[in-house]
Order: sequence, then structure tokens, then C-alpha cells
Amino acid sequence: MPASAFADLSLAENHGCTQCHRFTQEASEEPPKGPDLFYAGNKFQKNWLENFLQNPVVVRKAGYTSDPGFLKGTPTVAQPHPSLPEKEAREMTDFLMSLKLSDLPASPVEGEPLTKGEKVRIKILFERNFGCIACHEGVNLAGQPRGGISGPSLANAGNRLTADWVFHWLKTPEKFLPKSRMPLYDLDDETAVKLTQYLMTLKIGRQN
Amino acid sequence: MFVKKSRKFQIILLLLMTLIACGDNAKETAKVKPPTAAPEKTAPAAVVAQPEQNPVPQKTRDVYQWYCTQCHGLKGKGDGINAKHLTVPPRDHTKGEYLETRTDKQLFDAIKLGGLAVGRAPCMPSWGNTLKDETIHSLVRYIRELCECEAL
Ligand code: HEC
Ligand code: HEC
Repeated sequence: MPASAFADLSLAENHGCTQCHRFTQEASEEPPKGPDLFYAGNKFQKNWLENFLQNPVVVRKAGYTSDPGFLKGTPTVAQPHPSLPEKEAREMTDFLMSLKLSDLPASPVEGEPLTKGEKVRIKILFERNFGCIACHEGVNLAGQPRGGISGPSLANAGNRLTADWVFHWLKTPEKFLPKSRMPLYDLDDETAVKLTQYLMTLKIGRQN
Repeated sequence: MFVKKSRKFQIILLLLMTLIACGDNAKETAKVKPPTAAPEKTAPAAVVAQPEQNPVPQKTRDVYQWYCTQCHGLKGKGDGINAKHLTVPPRDHTKGEYLETRTDKQLFDAIKLGGLAVGRAPCMPSWGNTLKDETIHSLVRYIRELCECEAL
């Protein structure tokens, strides 16, 4: 890590973020109260982050997976998330965007949009064949979130996540989390790319 | 491989069924082992000659708690946090009346291949890439503990 990153970590410390989040890949003694952020720069769109830190939205309605109240749907960590004033949110966003895994290969996801037919086909995979919707919110025909809540909502994935990171999550989740509650799918690259592209079409609510 | 195994098992079960008459009797004997009993070396239920009578190992319960509870609930009652958001409610694993009508092989396939592949609700994803066959077999046994039932 470059020397300047340490100064930034103290930024997160000073704001109390390290109480709940891990900013490095080192294992913590207790399971963290909130999602890992050591790969935030791979995972999030900058605009979404900056906005989230000022006006947090609830992404995990049942709370984070290691919250003691998670399986009861009554998280012990208060919702919504603590917020930061604009200037601090910007600083924090810059810091978070600098947190990247050094060993992630380039992903094969390209700009080429899904055709209408492909979108329908992948939607069926998402909602039926793979049953993703059992644990994740997608977007229904009326433009409303629809689906399970044990996984993070994907109803706004297209504004929140980067395509590259989604692809890597689908192919190699263990790079980010040693043991997820999500099933492994053993997707071939092409299906993973298409599924990623489909998730990136999901947008709801405010644009960033 | 498992096909063979479970066929053998079905035959044994069939034999047993004719011996002890099914349904209620099977239920009665199953009640000996409360599903939440502490797993550490519980004395085997010696008396009745049913296959795999021992409570499933803690590892299997942990797997259930980690993955299955998201939809099927902490006690398997089909009331997990995802339940009310699904179009088809998750199976209640404590309901003997339904689970009696499913063979162990059917339960195994539903877990391994997912609901859609076995003509059931697509909400049930396939766990075949996540869990070993051995673990899935043990989960079937755990469901049998939860429902206090065997296949008819
Ligand atoms: C009391 C514990 C707690 C504290 C303190 C806390 N967070 Fe969080 N944070 C959470 C939880 C829980 C979530 C998940 C919220 C959700 O999904 O709805 C979260 C989500 C996030 C997310 C989105 C992550 C994702 O994967 O969706 C970011 C970014 C974030 N926090 C940054 C921060 C920063 C920066 C600070 C310090 C200013 C901070 N958090 C302080 C608990 C905390
Ligand atoms: C049995 C529940 C379940 C199913 C089915 C499931 N997921 Fe997940 N998913 C999760 C959970 C839980 C997480 C959060 C990681 C964790 O803590 O395990 C997650 C995380 C994710 C993430 C990262 C989201 C974030 O903001 O961190 C994406 C993307 C995702 N899943 C997509 C999918 C897709 C696509 C499918 C279908 C192919 C799917 N999931 C099926 C439970 C599930």
C-alpha cells in the first residue's frame, strides 16, 4: 500500500467506519458488522458511492449476512446507514475508490449491449433457471423491486456496481468472500458475461 | 452412483415399510429423535432397524443453517426471510404430510439440481456446485428428521 493510503485509513478510523467494515484483506477476530470494503474501488460506481455516503439507502433489508439478526430479518445494526456531509463524503469516496485488489484480471465484459431477445432469455435465467430472485430483488414489469432479501438488492445494480466486478463475483466469489451464502453456479464465461450485462440493465429509483 | 445407492435404500425402505406398516407408525418411531437434539455423540437409537437412524452430524445442521435457512427458516418451517417475497412459498420441512409423498431421491435431486429441474418451483436454486453429494444425502436425512417422516 502506498504511504498515502495509511493516512486515508485513519480517515475511515476517525469516522468510525472501521468498527463495522474491513478495509484490508486481513481477517478480523469477529465477523464484521458490515460488508467488506477492501475492494470497494473494484465494486462500486463512484457516483453511487458519493451519493450513498450522503443519503444512504438500504441495500440489504435483512441486514448484513453476519449480523446476529440476519436470519430473523431484524438487523441489530441500525438502518439506514450513518451519513457524511458532502465534503467528507467526497474525501471518503476518493479513498474507497482507491481500494482495489491488485490481482484481478481484466473481465471479458464489453460494451456491446444485450439484444432484446437476449435480455428476455437472461431474465428467464435470472428469475427461473438460476432462481437468483429467491434471494435478490430484481425489477418487475411495473418497475418495482421484486424478490428475496437475503442477498443484497440488485434492483439498482446498474447504477451501483461495476460490470467488471459483477463478472468477477459471479465467476470467483471466493476472491472477495471466503464463504458466501450464495450458491456457486459454475457459469461459463459467456453466460457470466450475459448475466452481468443483464444485471447492469437493472436500475431503479434515483439515477446514482 | 447415488442412483444405485438410493435405489438400494428405497428397496430397504420398502421392505421395512411392509414390516412396520408405513405412515403413522413410521412417524411414531421417528419421534424418538428431536430434530434439535445436541448432536455430539447421541447414543444411536438402537431399537428400530430403520436405515440411518442416527441424528445427522452437526456439520449438516450447520450447512442447513448457513444456506437453507435463508428461505426455509431457522427451524425449517418454510418461513425464512425470503419466504414472503416469493411467488411460491418455500417448502415447510416440518410438514410430514407432503414430504412423505417424496422419495429421498426426489429430495436429493431437488437440492442438487434445483426446483425447476425436478418439476417444482424454480425459486429453489441448484446446490450441486456448492455441496458435495454426501452432504446433500445428509441434508435429505436432516429434512427427514425435521418432518419426522420417511417416504411412504
Ligand atoms: C454500525 C456499523 C457501521 C458503521 C459505523 C459504518 N457502516 Fe457502512 N455499512 C454497514 C452496514 C450494515 C452496511 C450494509 C447496509 C445495507 O446493505 O443496507 C453498510 C454499507 C456500507 C457501504 C455499501 C457497501 C455495500 O456493499 O453495499 C459503504 C460504501 C459503507 N457502508 C461505507 C461506510 C463508511 C465510509 C463508514 C464510515 C463513515 C461506514 N460505512 C460506517 C455498517 C456500518
Ligand atoms: C440462496 C440465496 C442466493 C441465490 C439463489 C443467489 N444469491 Fe447472489 N448473493 C446472495 C447473498 C447472501 C449475497 C451476499 C454475499 C454473502 O454474504 O454471501 C449475494 C451476493 C450477490 C452479488 C453481489 C451483490 C453485492 O452488492 O455485494 C451479486 C451480483 C449476486 N449475488 C448475483 C446473483 C445472481 C446473478 C444469482 C443467480 C445466478 C444469485 N446471486 C443467486 C444470495 C443468493
